[in-house]
Formats: sequence, structure tokens, C-alpha cells
Amino acid sequence: MAEYDLTPRIAPNLDRHLVFPLLEFLQERQLYNDNHILKAKIDLLNNTNMVDYAMDIHKTLYQTEDVPQDMIERRADVVARLKSLEDAAAPLVAFLQNASAVQELKADKHYNLQLLNDKYQIGPAQIEALYQYGKFQFECGNYSGAADYLYQYRALCTNSERSLSALWGKLAAEVLMQNWDIALEELNRLKEMIDSKNFSSPMNQVHSRIWLMHWSLFIFFNHDNGRTLIIDLFNQDKYLNAIQTGAPHLLRYLATAFIVNKRKRPQFKDFLKVIQQEQHSFKDPITEFLACVYVNYDFDGAQKKMRECEEVILNDPFLGKRVEESNFSTVPLRDEFLENARLFIFETYCRIHERIDMGVLAEKLNLNYEEAERWIVNLIRGSKLDAKIDSQTGTVIMEHNHPNVYEQLIEHTKALNSRTYKLVTQILEHAQAPAAH
Amino acid sequence: MASRFWTQGNSDSDDDEPTDIDEPSSDTEPVDEPTNNTANRYIAGIHPDDSDDDDGQKRVVKSAKDKRFDEMASTVDQIKNAIKINDWVSLQETFDKINKQLDKVMRVIESQKIPNLYIKALVMLEDFLAQASSNKDAKKKMSPTNAKAFNSMKQKLKKNNKQYEDLIIKFRETPQSEEEKFEDDEDSDQYGSDDDEIIEPDQLKKPEPVSDSETSELGNDRPGDDDDAPWDQKLRKKDRLLEKMFMKKPSEITWDTVNNKFKEILEARGRKGTGRFEQVEQFTFLTKVAKTPAQKLQILFSVVSAQFDVNPGLSGHMPINVWKKCVQNMLVILDILVQHPNIKVDDSVELDENESKKGDDYDGPIHVWGNLVAFLEKIDAEFFKSLQCIDPHTREYVERLRDEPLFVVLAQNVQEYLESIGDFKASSKVALKRVELIYYKPHEVYEATRKLAELTVDGDNGEEVSEESKGFVDTRIIAPFVVTPELVARKPTFPENSRTLMDVLVSLIYKYGDERTKARAMLCDIYHHALLDEFAVARDLLLMSHLQENVHHMDISTQILFNRAMSQLGLCAFRVGLVSEAHGCLSELYSGGRVKELLAQGVSQNRYHEKTPEQERLERRRQMPYHMHINLELLESVHLTSAMLLEVPNMAANVHDAKRKIISKNFRRLLEVSEKQTFTGPPETVRDHVMAATRVLINGDFQKAFDIIASLEVWKFVKNRDTVLEMLKDKIKEEALRTYLFTFSSSYDSLSVDQLTNFFDLSLPRAHSIVSRMMINEELHASWDQPTGCIIFRNVELSRVQALAFQLTEKLSILAESNERASEARLGGGGLDLPPRRRDGQDYAAAAAGGGGGTSSGGRWQDLSYSQTRQGSGRAGYGGRALSFNQAGGSGGYSRGRGMGGGGYQNSSRTQGGSALRGPHGDVSTRMVSLRGVRA
Repeated sequence: MAEYDLTPRIAPNLDRHLVFPLLEFLQERQLYNDNHILKAKIDLLNNTNMVDYAMDIHKTLYQTEDVPQDMIERRADVVARLKSLEDAAAPLVAFLQNASAVQELKADKHYNLQLLNDKYQIGPAQIEALYQYGKFQFECGNYSGAADYLYQYRALCTNSERSLSALWGKLAAEVLMQNWDIALEELNRLKEMIDSKNFSSPMNQVHSRIWLMHWSLFIFFNHDNGRTLIIDLFNQDKYLNAIQTGAPHLLRYLATAFIVNKRKRPQFKDFLKVIQQEQHSFKDPITEFLACVYVNYDFDGAQKKMRECEEVILNDPFLGKRVEESNFSTVPLRDEFLENARLFIFETYCRIHERIDMGVLAEKLNLNYEEAERWIVNLIRGSKLDAKIDSQTGTVIMEHNHPNVYEQLIEHTKALNSRTYKLVTQILEHAQAPAAH
Repeated sequence: MASRFWTQGNSDSDDDEPTDIDEPSSDTEPVDEPTNNTANRYIAGIHPDDSDDDDGQKRVVKSAKDKRFDEMASTVDQIKNAIKINDWVSLQETFDKINKQLDKVMRVIESQKIPNLYIKALVMLEDFLAQASSNKDAKKKMSPTNAKAFNSMKQKLKKNNKQYEDLIIKFRETPQSEEEKFEDDEDSDQYGSDDDEIIEPDQLKKPEPVSDSETSELGNDRPGDDDDAPWDQKLRKKDRLLEKMFMKKPSEITWDTVNNKFKEILEARGRKGTGRFEQVEQFTFLTKVAKTPAQKLQILFSVVSAQFDVNPGLSGHMPINVWKKCVQNMLVILDILVQHPNIKVDDSVELDENESKKGDDYDGPIHVWGNLVAFLEKIDAEFFKSLQCIDPHTREYVERLRDEPLFVVLAQNVQEYLESIGDFKASSKVALKRVELIYYKPHEVYEATRKLAELTVDGDNGEEVSEESKGFVDTRIIAPFVVTPELVARKPTFPENSRTLMDVLVSLIYKYGDERTKARAMLCDIYHHALLDEFAVARDLLLMSHLQENVHHMDISTQILFNRAMSQLGLCAFRVGLVSEAHGCLSELYSGGRVKELLAQGVSQNRYHEKTPEQERLERRRQMPYHMHINLELLESVHLTSAMLLEVPNMAANVHDAKRKIISKNFRRLLEVSEKQTFTGPPETVRDHVMAATRVLINGDFQKAFDIIASLEVWKFVKNRDTVLEMLKDKIKEEALRTYLFTFSSSYDSLSVDQLTNFFDLSLPRAHSIVSRMMINEELHASWDQPTGCIIFRNVELSRVQALAFQLTEKLSILAESNERASEARLGGGGLDLPPRRRDGQDYAAAAAGGGGGTSSGGRWQDLSYSQTRQGSGRAGYGGRALSFNQAGGSGGYSRGRGMGGGGYQNSSRTQGGSALRGPHGDVSTRMVSLRGVRA
């Protein structure tokens, strides 16, 4: 199933630290050789400051207690640098920890800077040091510290470029700490900045958007409301454009979100067109499933794809999130996806059929006969389906409702009346307004 | 008479021993010699030690005196030439010139002695005049201008000669003695020291037989047949004269001499009576004697531009051999530039005249006037023109095509050079020229070109050399002072795959090119992708470049390129089985019936609109060379076939209101015409075939329809013919099925799907899928009975009154809407909250079901269901806008611009088509689609 693994395509668009959860997941799923993953981890860590962690992995990978010399040296290096940065940022950190002093700060940035400068002798150098310190903390894996410092830095900084990267850092830190609510806030803030900022080139902007979308996957598939929000974000023209341009693999997540989210029908039609258009650049069972159901009306194919989709979902680090309940774990998204996918097939199937054999239906729905019958009965009872079961022949008979021609005509003309009336009022109002003057 | 000097003079300079001169054979011959001798004598007098230490390589500073004498000598040469061809007009001119020069010389040498050179010229003229006057016949034959010049010359000479009477007489008496007097030291001068340097190499280089044959050839030249002699022979003589002048005293050739000569020739440029070929030859000779690389470069540039002048008219093209030489010269220019990186080529600043004086050893930058890119573009244009002019069915055309590698290598070198000096803007222009040579070549042709380039350039080099040694035999007599090794490659390199090459070039252009260059490169890129069957890539490029919107503001040749790219895209879409896309691409090209003109593949005649000759000429100049043509017959077949596939079921579906939903007007018109015919013979043209196929397809006979279409000859030009025909058959079956269902659904109550599969030879899932789609799209009022595998039809055929009522309501709602719009425009926007416009009848049904259906459950189903538009039709307005059409072609469902990833052609902006949701047969071609463009 590794062929549908998107990690190689996603990873380049993530921060180093954000790749770890993905690798952890892959390790768990046993898709790749364990050693390969461990090596990949060390490679990742090489450019971060989490040297201790790297050492641990090295030990497990090579089954030794020895650690390469350069790692030890690097560790000393990191510690020394941490120390110096800490010193540099110390005055500001001390100030920020003093609650009463912080009270003095106001909403006005310039006032604050002035205040710090006059009263506490904290100049731009210290503020800059705070940023570096926060960044370094992040690289060391101390995400909560990093998040705090970067937050405070943002309150004080005047450089918009710096502020932006501090925001990225904050977002990453929150994601890694799994504070989804806060992360979502930061995400929205970042999105606004990206949309409003003047980028030197449109390319940069598109790249920022692609990054943002990748990072947001963590949030959306963990946040309660994420599945609606992901559609809201990804399906915006600008973002859809960015997906089509630079990261068509994100279509998988959008497609999944659409399938599990019943309320977004109008946009869904547009989205199907996008999927068709992007067929040549990205295709996986989930998008193919949609094509089968809504483009080719190939229900057998759809059913086959549905089974593949299950695999894909289970092996996807975002979609296949597990929830542990007492002693067995479930993948909530998978269940939801399958249920909805089944409904999709059934819905379309019913639309074009008058009479359906229950056996065939059960097969198409990946259910056994009894289950299928129960499922249909439930639908009928919930008045979601206008049909009857003929249990003698074992068929479902659709009761299609075909509107009378006259009803249609009435429907057509109904709105005209009110529209015309509205128009007249408006014109009258307009005519009277000048007259009153 | 005069030419006899010549003959003799030549043999002198060529291969002669002094003995030749020692035994004068005719009385006039010696007259020639003193000229040179005199000049030499003076020089010898002034620079006694020159002959010792000069070795031809060292630069020699010449005195002003020498310069004057040189000038005069060259004028005398001109006189000789004019005499030879009996050209009194130029004789008159040169005579004036020599008089002027005489003044200068007198001033310089500060003596009263008239130079013998001048006297000699006078004598010569006098003789010739006498001869001409005595020859009455020749006089009569003269052209009026010539005769006039002759008469006035006679007067002038008479007057002039009176002043120098004594000298002339003296000269006539003692030519021999003077000659002999100086002969000896001259000989020692010349051969003693210069032999090794100059003569030896020549003699090595030039095989004896050639010179012999030439001497004899020249020897045969009698005054009588002078006029008939081919120009080049004359030129050669002339050239030789120049050469002789320089050759006799290579040491004395200074930068100034060359520069003066250069300027002199340059001034003559464009003047009446200046032979264009002659000028080229003169310049070419000068390149050999140029003293510094910069000077050589400067002169070479003039050679090239003189070569461009050879063909003055806009209509004709440059002679091919000149073109080839021109390319060679450009290569030499590049050699020099590569060898001397401190020389800069520039055309913007007025340059110091003495800039080129700086020699080899000069370190600082030297600026030389010139524009490589402009020259290259001109060469390309000439190549293009020659292909336009040559009849494509001749061998000549093929031969000409074989010259392409020559140009390719030049372009490649120029581009490399420009890149090495960091001028990427210019190099992108050159890259475009290269792109334009490749883009239209399918893989096979590209392979062939590659092979040819590898083969011929090997062979060519040899050939080239031999040709050169033939053509330039005389110019090679002296070794050029500035030796330029061949530094740049003489062989084009082609990567394995044309795509790789395109990618490299195109991305360079996207990065550095200006707007037009980028647009053209983009179109070529699209064309090439389409050629390689990469429809999706080509389509995305087209859409994200927004060229469709902008192309109307571009120049005509770019518009033609756009049309070519569109047609290729259409062909590509057809090959990969996207019929409606193919139709979308091609329909607009065919809507005006001016395909030939739009593709610049021939001039189309218009009955109603006479073209002015000017227009016609312009059009002719835009024509594509034959080997770049897109097969028009194939294009027409593809267009009509795809129109048929779309239109036949469409007509069947809308029998009642055929007026409303027309996909292809062109097709409908043709069909009408063919239906009016009382008798239809067997099909002959593409059109006939498609019409015949349409007739049987309407009746549901897919096999026959396919047979008729497949019998078209043109399919053999399609790359993968079998798969395309297979695809075509499949499509025809599908459309036949749809047509059948549309036509006969009212006659059935139920229909087994097995029967359908039998009828139309389709697989069960395929038939199921097609019918299902029709049901979902509400094209077919029916549903499946799954257990029996039948289609159950519900006949909801509207009665006439009902249909009319629907039309009425539709019109009413349009009326209401336009009212609202009108009032909105009047009252200012935003006043009304307009309900979204219903675009097609299909929504009515859904809405009616939802609202009026009564039962909530049924409504919900309908609501949830996705009424999909018939696939593809939404994008019918592909926007293949052909130039000069002002139709508001909808840039339909595809109007999704994409920002570009890697290449970054244009600002990434995406316009989501407002038409994406449009109903199945929204009248695409007439309604403008308002795009809600969202700029990124």
C-alpha cells in the first residue's frame, strides 16, 4: 500500500519537526522497513538541535552504546549556544516574567518599546535575542517555551518579516503540542497575513499558501470542527488554485472532507470538475471513487475503489488517526467515510433505478443481505428514501416522483410575481425620493 | 586593350618570376608596372629600413604620404575597372576623385613633381578615350547616360591633360626606362625579405593548377567580351587588384590604411552604382588585412550587413550561397569574440573611431559596434523567406532545409556567447529563434534533424572548406593578419529528446524574455506539447498563460502562431479521445471559412471582399513555409467528425426546438446544404464523407458511419492511426446509442439492455454507464429495472402546447431579469437582491421537484442529488478565438487559469469560470461568460 503513501510529497512542505509525527505513524503502520525510518529520523534531526534524541535513535538503530563523536561535539555546541542566547535574552525574559511589570504594557507597540527602553534598558538587541532564543528553543524541541517566547516576541516586534516567521514558529509549536484550538487561531492569523501581505513575487505567495495548507492538515483532522473548516479553506479559489498548481496531492484530503461532510453539496459539484481536470496530475482511490460514482456511473468500480479507500485511509497519517477506546482502537474517520461513501453510491444508484434486487444492493454496499435490508429500512423510516421493500421478490421499489407539467409551469412563474412586485416598489421608492426633495 | 594590363598584372602578382617582366610582350604592358613601382619607390625612399625588419605580423606605422598614394592607387584601379567594362559614368566619377587626390598628394609631398601614378592614369584614360572615339559601333551601342558621360569626359580630359602635356609626352616616351630602372630594387625589396612571409604560404595554399587556369581564363578576357563576363569574375579581378596593392607591401599596411579603405567602402554603401556583391568582396578582403582583432571584427560586421544588402527587395530572399557565407562570417565573429573576451559588442553608443586600433595586447574593454541578435534574427528571417519562396515540391527546397543545422549551430553559439557575457535578455531572444525551429517537429522529424546535423556537419565541414577554397581562393592568397582559430563549435548539439531541448530553452525565455518573446515561446511550447499528445499539459499552459485573452493585442505573426497552436491542440484532443475539447478548439477556426488565411497556409479567396494588392503582399509575406504546415484536410476531418459526434445526438434530443441549441453552426449549415441536394453521389471530399456518415448515424447505423469516416485517406497522417480509429469507432457507437435512445424512446415502454448491447456492439458496463448518465442528466426520462436488466421509459413527452408554455415562461423570466438589470443600472447597483438566474431548463425540474413535489422525502432526494451537466458540454466554449474574429467566444468551462509552478510564466491567478455550473447546452457561443476573476 506504500504506493498511495503521500509522506514523500507532503514532507517537503513541512517543518522538520512536523515530519516526526508522520514518521512515527509510518513506523507504527509498518509500511516501511524500521531501519529506514530510523535513518530518516536521524537525517531529520541532524539539522535540529535535538541531539539527545538523535543519540537515542542512533543507539537503537545500530544497537550500540557508542555515539559518534560529532554528535557529542554538537551537543556541547548546542548547550553552549543555548546558554549564550539565554543570557542575551535574560533581561527581557525576566521582565516578562514579572507580572506587575507586564501590566504596564499597553496596546500601543511604540509606547511599549519606548517604555522598555527607558525603564528597563531593553533595546532592540534584547528583543531580537528573544526571537533567537525562542527559535533555538523550538529547535531543541522545547515547544511550549518556544511558543511562549515567540508569542511575546510578536507583541514587541516591529519587523513584519520577523513577525511572520515568528508566527510560523508559533503555529508549528502549537501543532506539536497538540493545542488544536490555539493552533487554529494562529492558523487563521497566518492566513490573513499571507492573503494581505504583498509578496515580492506571486510564486512566494503560492508557496506560502501551500505550506499553510500542509500544516493545517494537522489541525483540521484533529480539531472537532476541522472537516468543515478544511473545505472552507481549501476550496477557496486562491487555495484551490495553489493546490492545483503546486500540491495536487492535497486533493485527497479535500475529497475526503467532502465525502464525510454532507452539507457542502453546492461546492461539491465544482470540486468534481477539479478532480476530473487534475486526473492527469493526481489520482488515488479516493478521487477515483468520486469519479466512478459521479462521472462514469460505474458502480462496480466504485465498490472496488471503496475497499481501496479503506486501506488508504488507514495508512494515511492524517486520515487514519486512531482513537483508543477502552481496549480497542477505532479509526473514526474510516467508519464515517465508508458510511458516507455507501450512501453516495446508493443515492446515485437509486436515482436511476426503478427496482433493485436486495441481494445485488447488499453486494454493492459491501453489506450482507440482512444488514442491507436493515439499512434500507432505516433509511425509509428516516424518510430519507422514498421507496418500498417488496419482500416477496426481495426487491426495493423506488417511488419516483415526477412532477406534473402544470406544477412545473406554476413553479416557473411563481417567483415572477414577487420579483416584479419588488421591482415596482423599488422604482416607486426611487421616484418618490427625488420628489420629496 | 586595357585589360591586357590586367592579365599581365595578374600573372605578376600570382606566380611570376621577375623574368616575366623582363620580357615585355606588348607595348602597353609596362604602363602598368610603373604605378606600383612609383609607389614603392616613394615608400622605399621614405622608409629605407622597412623592408628589413618587417615581417608582415608587426604593425607598421604608415606615413600620411603612403596613405595618399594608396588612395590614389586604388582610384587608379577603379579607373581601370571602369575602363574595362566601358562604364563612363563611374569613370567620370573616379576621374574627379583622382584629381582631388592629386591635390592632397601634392600638398603632402610638398614638391612640384606630379606623381607618375597620376600621369599614368591620364595616359590610360587618353588611350581609352581615343580608342572609344574611333570605335563608332561601340559608341552607338552605349546607353544614353553612358554616352553623355563619355562626351563630358572627353571634354574634361582634354582640358585637364593640357596642364600635364609635357609630362604625358615624357611618360609616353620613356615608360620602359623608368620601369626598368626601378625593377631591380623593387625585386630585391619584395622578394628578398617578404618572400618567406607572404608568398610562401600563398603558394603552399594555392595549388598551381588553379592559378594557371585562372590566369589563362583571365588571359582570354579581351576587351570585347568584357561586358559579358560574369560579375564575379570581374570582382575577382578587382579584388585581386586590391589585394595586389596590399600584398606588395604587407609591411606597409597599417591600421590607418585599412581603416581608411574601410570607411571609403562604407561610404559607397547604398550609393548608386555601387555593386553590392562587389562591396561584400571588398569587405571580405579587408578582413584579411585587418590589423587588430577589433578591426577585423568591425569589418566583419560590415561584411555581414553588406551581405544583408545584397538582396534589397522585401519580396525576394538572399541568395543561398551568400546566406551560407553570412553564417560563416557570423561564426568567425563569434570566434573573435570568444578569443578576445575584452571586446564588447554594442549598438547603443556612438563609438570612438579609434577604438578598434587597440590591438591584441590591449587589456581594457574595446567596444565595437554591432548587434549579434539583430544579425541573427535577420539571418533567420532570410532563411524563412527563402523557404517561403522556393517551391516546396522541388529538390531545392529539400536542399535548403538541409541548411537548417547551419543556422542552429550559429544560434546555439550566439546564445552561449550571450550567456557567457551575461546578456540573458538577448540570449532569450536567440533561444526563441531556436524554439521556433524545433516546436513544430514531431519526434520522427526531430530525430531526422538530429541525425542530419551529426552527419552533414561532418561532411559539410569538408565541403565547406573546399567550397571556401574555391570561392575565396584569391582572398586567401595572403594569410590574414589576424588569425582567428575556430573556437566555437561548428556542429549543433541536439539532446536525445526534443522535449528536453524545448524545456531548457523555454524556461530560459520565461525567466528573461520580454512579453512578446515569452508569449511566442509559450505558444510554441503549447504546440509542442500538443504534438506529443500531452493534452492536459498543453491545455494548462494555454489557460494559465491567459493568452486567449491577450492574443488579440499581439502582432499578426503571433496570432497566427496562436491559431496554429490551437489547431494542434484540437488535433491532440481528438487523438486522445476528447471530442468536445477538440471541437471547442477548432470550431472557431472554421466559423469564418478562412482557415487557410488564419493558419497562413495559403491565400484564401473571398468572393465579397477584394483584397488590395498591398494586403495580398502582406499576407504572402506571412505565409508559413511548406514543411511547417498543418494538414488542412486532416484538420477539417477532425473538426467535422467531432462536430458530427456532438451534433447528431444533440439534434435528436431537440427535435422540437432545433433552433435553440446549436453546437456547431458550421456543421448545421453544411448539413442543410447537403440535405437540399436532390441527388447525393458517392462522397468525395472530406465534407461529403462526414455528411454521408451523419445521414447514416442519424438512422443509428454506427457501422456504416464508421466505415465512411474511416475510409477517409487523411487518417494515415495521424500518428497512432489504429488507436485513434478504435477510439473513433467507440465514440460513434456511443453517440449512435444516444441518438437511438433520443429518437425512439417514445416508441418503447421498456427496452432490454442486452438488446442495446447487441444493437450497438457495446459492452454491458459501457452501455449501462452511458444510459445511466443520460438518466442522471435528465436527457432520458427512464429508469433501470435492475432485476430484469431493462430500461423502463416514462413518456413525459410534452404536448406542443405544453412545450410552448414552457418556452413562454422561460422568456418571461428573462424579461423579468432584464427589467431588474435595467432598473439596477438606473438606480445604482446593490438595490436589488437578484435571485440567481436560472440557466437552463434542467434546474427547473429539480426545483420543481424540490419545492412543488410535496413530499419532503422526495424533495430531499432530488435536492441531494447532483444534477450533473453532460460531461464536457460546459466547456464547449473552449475559446479557440481565431484572430480577427470579434465573436464573443465564451472562454467556457475551462476558464480556470492556473498559476504556474516551476516555470512561473505569469502571475499566478486563477479565474474560476462562472460558467462552471452552466447547464448542458447553455448557448455557449452567444453568451459572454462573465468571469469572476480572482487575482492571486
